[in-house]
Amino acid sequence: MRSAPLLRLLATRVVLAALSLLVVSVVIFWCVEMLPGDTAQRMLGRDATPEALARLRAELGLDRPAAERYGLWLAATLWGDLGQSMVADRPVADWVAGRAANTLTLAGFALAIYIPLALALGLLSAAFRGRPLDQAISVAVLLGMCVPEFVTGLLLVSVFAITLDLFPPLALIDQAQDLGDLLHILFLPALTLAIAMTAYAVRMMRDNLIEVLESPYVRLATLKGLPRRQVLLRHALPNALGPAVNVTALNIAWLIGGIVVVETVFNFPGIGRLLIDAISVKDVPVVQAVALLLTALYILTNLLADIVVIVLNPRLRAGA
Amino acid sequence: MAAAAEHAPPTAAPAAAPARRRPMAEAWALMPASGRVGLAMLVVYAAVALTGPWWAPFDPGKIAAGPPLSPPSARHLAGTDALGRDLFSRVVHGTGAVMWMSLSATGLAVLAGSLVGLVTGYLRGWIDEIVMRLADIMISIPPLIIAVLVIGAFGNSQTVVILIVALLFAPRVARVVRAATLGIVTEDYVTAAVLRGESALGIAVRELLPNVTGTVFVEFAIRSGFAIMFIGALGFLGFGAPPPTPEWGVMINEGRRTISAALWPVLAPALAMAGLVLAINLFTEGLARVIGRSPGPATH
Repeated sequence: MRSAPLLRLLATRVVLAALSLLVVSVVIFWCVEMLPGDTAQRMLGRDATPEALARLRAELGLDRPAAERYGLWLAATLWGDLGQSMVADRPVADWVAGRAANTLTLAGFALAIYIPLALALGLLSAAFRGRPLDQAISVAVLLGMCVPEFVTGLLLVSVFAITLDLFPPLALIDQAQDLGDLLHILFLPALTLAIAMTAYAVRMMRDNLIEVLESPYVRLATLKGLPRRQVLLRHALPNALGPAVNVTALNIAWLIGGIVVVETVFNFPGIGRLLIDAISVKDVPVVQAVALLLTALYILTNLLADIVVIVLNPRLRAGA
Repeated sequence: MAAAAEHAPPTAAPAAAPARRRPMAEAWALMPASGRVGLAMLVVYAAVALTGPWWAPFDPGKIAAGPPLSPPSARHLAGTDALGRDLFSRVVHGTGAVMWMSLSATGLAVLAGSLVGLVTGYLRGWIDEIVMRLADIMISIPPLIIAVLVIGAFGNSQTVVILIVALLFAPRVARVVRAATLGIVTEDYVTAAVLRGESALGIAVRELLPNVTGTVFVEFAIRSGFAIMFIGALGFLGFGAPPPTPEWGVMINEGRRTISAALWPVLAPALAMAGLVLAINLFTEGLARVIGRSPGPATH
């Protein structure tokens, strides 16, 4: 009986997420329809005869009404058939899968830098609140929030790739021979993404930890004579983790847009770069597949974050 | 700055309180020093945006105004780009476009979002349910992906960029304003207005709006910071203002091609952008403290 409202709340979120995805698929289809230029013309070149154009249009199904094409596209996509690229003449599914694997590697590396960095900086600034270290971290965080990720990336390239020559300026992942090589190539883009995410997380963690540090049970732990490190790590940190999980989910959702920008900065062959390239050459099946995939990831991340927050927070559970 | 935030001494001297309540003077007195610095920086930016085109030393599009990729000098304060255009003049000229696009997009979003938030928060019931579910759906769309698609479809123009950014931000504003409205809708003065038989729109505008203005201002300030970075990212990706406009994101994208030879073409617009966002962030924090509302969860 007690779990019924919780289940209903979770079910509402899942239905809403599915509905969002459906609405977005219509928006994506409609935008792709509006992309300037004609696909058949592009494929056959300028001096194609009208008959050849008409034949290709019929072959690609471009002569059917938009609603029908939307239905066919959606059905095919649900069956896992993403079609054939119109520009590169290769199956979209393979192409997108390869690029997505690259992007996941980069995103994973970025998260691996971000999580310990944000935890350490958040803890340090709360522990040394008001002292020079905390002030230095606060200033760094404020700057991190004011500098967009493409600028951070270019500054890192300028310093660590061009001036110091420690890392490659372009993240050409296909040239990696082994794991060490891979990490070396991906370090600058991963760090760029991690810096942007850390700036937002540290600020939230610091405020939260300070609140927890002033709570009665932490004061009790201190009065019991426990060492400061133990009070911080054993008593305060676990209670500040909820909001940290929340901000990390927000950050992962941000990452889905951030990756498009950072992949462009480093010419990284990932899925975000693929989207930008495909839009500029009007490769309809590729644009549709990548946009839908990124949107689905975004919606799924937000759904998971909602569920985690609901399950972790007893008040939300009861008040549902 | 953070240390000051900690203790936040209300610098308003009660002794100097004027007989009549002057909200602006009061707000200024309560504003922390960092917020005042932010406001002063914003005034400078606005002045540059409005008057820059008259005193900028060079035409922003003038090719070979100096030797290409030259470092800062007395003649070219921020150096020149690969085409020999004067970077300082370009940044100055771009200020207007950047501020116009981000502020009008945010303004539209805040206007529409506040209205929707006020009305749904006041009416509640099934209208609220439907509108807020729609807002949830709009919020669940990844902003950058959809912006790039829409701008790709409708072409790069300032109007398209402004409209899509406004459309993306409006439901987020509506949610915040609705929450603030829900907090005051049970107050006696609202009940009194209902009993007087005033219309829903009248109550929303006359009774509720004045009491959520603080929230609306803070929301506008936060969102304009995001808008600058977001529009900058669009420009960087080639989906911002069309090329002749010296928009900062577009300039950074142009400068990145010659970054191994010169950093200035990237650094000049980047510094201008970071300064503007910093000014807005400092001012927002000050404003939030004056109004007594936390600047809210940091979302990108």
